[in-house]
Amino acid sequence: MATVTHTLFPEGAQFLTSNFPAYLRNAGTNFPVSGLAYDASTDEAAFWKFIATSYGSGNLSINLYWYADTASSANVVWEAQISAITPNTDTQDVETDGLATLNFVQDTHLGTTGQRVHSCTITMSNLDSIAAGDLCHLRIARDANGTSATDDMTGDAILLLATIAYSDT
Amino acid sequence: MAVLTDQQRFETWAQYMRENAAPIAVSKPDLRAAVDAIDTYLNDNAAAINSAIPQPARSALTTVQKALLLTAVVAKRYIVGV
Repeated sequence: MATVTHTLFPEGAQFLTSNFPAYLRNAGTNFPVSGLAYDASTDEAAFWKFIATSYGSGNLSINLYWYADTASSANVVWEAQISAITPNTDTQDVETDGLATLNFVQDTHLGTTGQRVHSCTITMSNLDSIAAGDLCHLRIARDANGTSATDDMTGDAILLLATIAYSDT
Repeated sequence: MAVLTDQQRFETWAQYMRENAAPIAVSKPDLRAAVDAIDTYLNDNAAAINSAIPQPARSALTTVQKALLLTAVVAKRYIVGV
């Protein structure tokens, strides 16, 4: 039994025509820091695609690594949704396919340093019947208007990186 | 003039968060309450502020010009090095 992990970089994100996080690249003091800046007042989303190589069973763990642009307290809510298509089997039009019901996590800024890195995990249980080898589209959003839970953190939440992890058995 | 609409206050709050680059240690609801309170204060005290402007400027300047003048003075007084 092993865990399969996919890494999602901000540079690999795709967006719809509106309500998307801005890509930013901060020069940093000693190394560049890139990320997707999710707005504090409007829900914004980014998308990635991957192949569910060797997927076995169980939930997906969407691990998010983020930091606050200006805040040093309060909560941020992240959402994730997936679409899974089995090539050569599913007849669904890929351009009109839907996403499964979202899962979310509420993470709390740990304070002390505003731009410290936080991590949190969305346990994705709405899997759209994912199977090994499926072509998957993943949506990661900030629930800025607090639909799923209270998001009361001011300023942007910047997503540095995300990973998808699942079991191969 | 009435207070700003809820949508206008929302837009003010959202714009402030987008443009603010300095660390901020209040939550979104607390920041929104501040926006609402400042708007209410300005609404309640607009006549007093206008009366504080001496003539002939009070009559000669438009509302927009006086608002920009108020903005300039507030910025010079409180926004230093930003």
